[in-house]
Amino acid sequence: MVDRLRSADLFRSTAIRWALGIALWSLLLALAMFAFVYWQTADYLREELAETLRLEVRAAAADPGVAATRVDTWIAMDVHATHYGGLFAPDGTRRAGNLGALPARLARDGDAYRVSATVDLAGRSLQDEIWAAALALADGSTVVIAHDTDEIDRVKATILRALGLGLVPTLALSALGGLLLTSRARRRLAATEAAVAEVMRGDLGKRLPVGPGDDEFDRLTRTVNRMLDEIEHLMGEVRSVGDAVAHDLRTPLTRLRARLERTRSQARTVAEFHEAIDQGLVWIDQTLAMVTAVLRIGEMEDGRRRGAFTRVDLGEVAAVAVEFHAPLAEEKDIDLALAAPDGPHPVHGDRDLCFEALSNLLDNALKFTPPGGRVAVGLQRTEAAIVVTVADTGPGLPPGERSQVFHRFYRAEAARQTPGHGLGLSLVAAIADLHGAPVAIRDAAGGGCHVELRFPHAEAEAGPRTARSAPSITSGPSSP
Amino acid sequence: MAKLLLIEDDAETAGDVLDDLRGRGHEVVWTATGPDGARAARDGGWGAIILDRMLPGRDGLSVLQDLRRDGDRTPALVLSALGDVDERIRGLRAGGDDYLAKPFALAELAARIEALLRRPVDSRETVLHVGNLAIDLIAGTGRRGARDLELLPRELKLLEYLMRRPGQIVTRAMLFEEVWNYRFTPKSNLIDVHVGRLRRKLEAGGEPPLIHSVRGTGFTLTPDG
Repeated sequence: MVDRLRSADLFRSTAIRWALGIALWSLLLALAMFAFVYWQTADYLREELAETLRLEVRAAAADPGVAATRVDTWIAMDVHATHYGGLFAPDGTRRAGNLGALPARLARDGDAYRVSATVDLAGRSLQDEIWAAALALADGSTVVIAHDTDEIDRVKATILRALGLGLVPTLALSALGGLLLTSRARRRLAATEAAVAEVMRGDLGKRLPVGPGDDEFDRLTRTVNRMLDEIEHLMGEVRSVGDAVAHDLRTPLTRLRARLERTRSQARTVAEFHEAIDQGLVWIDQTLAMVTAVLRIGEMEDGRRRGAFTRVDLGEVAAVAVEFHAPLAEEKDIDLALAAPDGPHPVHGDRDLCFEALSNLLDNALKFTPPGGRVAVGLQRTEAAIVVTVADTGPGLPPGERSQVFHRFYRAEAARQTPGHGLGLSLVAAIADLHGAPVAIRDAAGGGCHVELRFPHAEAEAGPRTARSAPSITSGPSSP
Repeated sequence: MAKLLLIEDDAETAGDVLDDLRGRGHEVVWTATGPDGARAARDGGWGAIILDRMLPGRDGLSVLQDLRRDGDRTPALVLSALGDVDERIRGLRAGGDDYLAKPFALAELAARIEALLRRPVDSRETVLHVGNLAIDLIAGTGRRGARDLELLPRELKLLEYLMRRPGQIVTRAMLFEEVWNYRFTPKSNLIDVHVGRLRRKLEAGGEPPLIHSVRGTGFTLTPDG
């Protein structure tokens, strides 16, 4: 891209086009001004001459007796043979002067006209363009005072030449100015293009150069840079998720491979083979569950599932979820209780997904709460939302880990030994986000974990939400 | 046992399904494309049809829709790769009786086919008997022999589902869908815990077991003796 700017495509470059445009425009301006100057000057000269001619012809006609003398004097006044004149009898015969004949179609009103006439000059008769004024005398004869047009024509030509010569430097200067003006923009454009090319080659850390100013170009550059920040951030997230998926998949697959290898060489009985196969199936199911969870999170972040949303009673969902987990709590000697006001708790959502979210939270709470502890599920109707809470008496989470637990594959260091694919809470976050329900996590009163989902009321949740996943997760200090 | 039609374009999957279902005693015919499948389905006489959502030549759902439009009520199970969310809803709307997302366990497919083949004859019956076990759905009571059983409402529902399908294997997912009426795959062994509690209640008097675990699949309720 950068190289092309310098070669064949030079004239397609915006900068060059601007320079040419500016030059052309100044040229047009100069031409217009020159034309005006030229026209004014020519007009002035012509008017001067016309005035002289008018005065002379009137003077000559004032006294018919001396008209011939005035004509001769007028002719004699000029040494360059540019003055003409003539006194013609009513029948057209010349009585005095150097005009060959009375110019045809010359109005005898004393005003000056440009006409073609025959003049006697140094004994020769020439056809020439002249300015002439004529008046009729009382005896019927005509007096003509005229002047060569050459002089004015020469002046006009001189002016034209001067103006023409002036145009060349004007054009050069304006082209130079245009180039200077646009070359800065062109340099910035080239630098930007170079940076973009580097980003396109894969260097996502590269940013476009930003000038110190705040013009449109700088603002655009800053916007593009912010966009690149976001892309880099997302790419990083994708990469780390990819790494996490690969890592978490490798563990059971490695185990499976080792087990198969060992069984093949060592197993003797059918029972031993069966045992290995059963164990293998368990591990494969684990990896499949992981892959399925990743796909489902992606699917939910897509938001398409919102199309199938209906009215869901969170009260019923919570009751079934608690009942479903009750045997597990009983086995672990954990007190699992649901506190909810009577009546429906309608939200706009997907019933199965709501159940899954709550089930994952319960699963997690039961997993980390020690025997003799308590897991409390609460449902509250507030002005703005229907709030679902799950509080346990487990070890709780350090504040730094609170928002991370909702990230894909995150597992608190302490939980590494506990089985699970680390996607349960990510699914909760994805489901909550799909429902426009912010998730908050904080210390429970008893020291455990307190998770809160605020579902908008069924009527409130109308159009699609704009915010995406992670930002809706908040963490706060201990609940009162 | 039953004549089944499998319409599935992936030869690997089809091969596994064929082997498994034939191993269970079914007679299975396999076609790999939409038009072939539609032709075979039209011939009739099938106990059940298993069809893939995506088929070369013709979409699986349109094959099913045409069949239903012609009044053919042969039970159909729709298979589909996971990905599209309302896939299941569309599958059922097109006339499918059940839906299974890939990848699936062969045992799950077999159990669901079994369920389709042996639909509960009369679901209006409110007093159910299997062996010496009896439940009254209206009264909400259960007896094993002469012993009264104390059953929670959910346990009664669980027992009802099993008793309506005696001798039939039901999977955890089927139980969860039909008894709890929610659809997702619980990670933990919670279904087993629930069934275990019910089983203990049924055998509290030292009676022989009625509910048996089927390794890697689910459960079955069989009358003793």
